[in-house]
Amino acid sequence: MDIDDILREVDPTFHSIPREKRDLQELTRAWIAERSAPELLPWPANGLFERINSNIKHQIEKVEEMTGDTDPKTNFALIVIQTELERYRYLVRSYLRARIAKIDRHTLHYLSTDDLRSRLSEMELAYATRHQALLHNHYLSSFLSSFPANLQNLNDAAAGISMIETPDLESAVFIRLLKDTFVEVRGVDADGAVNVKESDIAILRWSDAKPLVEAGSAELI
Amino acid sequence: MAMPLPPGLAHSEVAFLAEMELVTVVPRQRLESIDLLGGATPPLRPPHRTDLPLWLALLLKKQRRANIVPPHWLHPSSLSEIIHHETKVNPKAFSAPPPTPVRADTHNPGHAHRQGSGGGGAQQQQQQQEQLLLSAPFRASCTADAPAGYLPYHWLEVAESLLAHAGDDVASALGASAGEVRGLLRDLVEVRAAKMRSSTADLEEFGGGLMSMRGVGAVELAESRGFVLGVVDGVRKVGASAEAVRREKEEEEGEEGGGEEGESDEEMGIF
Repeated sequence: MDIDDILREVDPTFHSIPREKRDLQELTRAWIAERSAPELLPWPANGLFERINSNIKHQIEKVEEMTGDTDPKTNFALIVIQTELERYRYLVRSYLRARIAKIDRHTLHYLSTDDLRSRLSEMELAYATRHQALLHNHYLSSFLSSFPANLQNLNDAAAGISMIETPDLESAVFIRLLKDTFVEVRGVDADGAVNVKESDIAILRWSDAKPLVEAGSAELI
Repeated sequence: MAMPLPPGLAHSEVAFLAEMELVTVVPRQRLESIDLLGGATPPLRPPHRTDLPLWLALLLKKQRRANIVPPHWLHPSSLSEIIHHETKVNPKAFSAPPPTPVRADTHNPGHAHRQGSGGGGAQQQQQQQEQLLLSAPFRASCTADAPAGYLPYHWLEVAESLLAHAGDDVASALGASAGEVRGLLRDLVEVRAAKMRSSTADLEEFGGGLMSMRGVGAVELAESRGFVLGVVDGVRKVGASAEAVRREKEEEEGEEGGGEEGESDEEMGIF
């Protein structure tokens, strides 16, 4: 038994949430956030995905072991485990696909500065660099090499307008507040500052919502 | 394409999310605790009630291994009260979401902290116990302990699932026919949809930067997300140049020491 379980039974003030439930809440929150935000959010730190991947692998092994059993009792447990496994994998797949879609749309933008590159995981970084290299070679061999030499750049920033497409950081998002906070917002006609309560749902610009989400006082919905 | 859906959750994804809500179940057969990725399920010992995620509860119900106990806010009297609140008491805003569960802090008499935040007292230093604040669907707002008179975030999906798959349980537990509950749900959906539509009229004056929609539900959000965000983005883009001019003016005035008050520019309001 885990020290957590023993303590939980003995100490009435110990109300921690088990690690798996916390991971699931974090994964769900990360998934919703990634699906709703206009730009790529940082890859979750603190080893979340390593844990998730290893847990999924263990669970798949367990399913394979249990499939050999023909006992009706384990059969039902097997169905439940498989259903939950499929649900969990759907979450993970959808999260990764949302991220890849964003990387695909603005590859050069996310590869441009170190700060943005750090938001990608190692595999995503490798994918982005190789994908961009492939595309570039394809363009070169198709039509780019026949352009004059000084117009062959894909990241031309002449005349103050960069060729690299960046995501629109001012698009509107829905957020839910997790704590009472004071938030400053920018609007078309006027800027304002409002006190918002916990459990409020609000529409505001992503650039105003970003500091709240990063601090953990709000989540995207 | 990697993700063909537009940004924001689609209906199917919202339904998926709603199935993670906890509901109370009365098991009819013993079942050992199963080790799942989201934590181990509590062992089922009839006739004790247990809280399980909705997808598991529906699975058990279909196999006739358990009965589902509907939450109190689904009771016809609770629904009628909410409808009354939405139409008469506060016709502009949605009804309040359920209050955050709190627990008294035994080390600090008179204070309380939110349930679900990291540990109490001396245990806080354990293995980087972060303050994780739980939110729907992990808030246990659809179990039998949930308070009546408040609509949780996933109220419509959970109510519809329960009526569709566990209609008999709902009827027997609440002492009212499923048809009555369905009718009240329809009314509630109508009232809130009308509010949603009228709130889009407020979007025209959305110049202030933040619009609050306290109490809106998940499905209502998903339905109007495309339209509402489109309007807000449209207003922003149309007013982008005027806004840039306004900011420049404010910066200049700020540099001059801000002696005179900023005059309101009538041109800004006309589109």
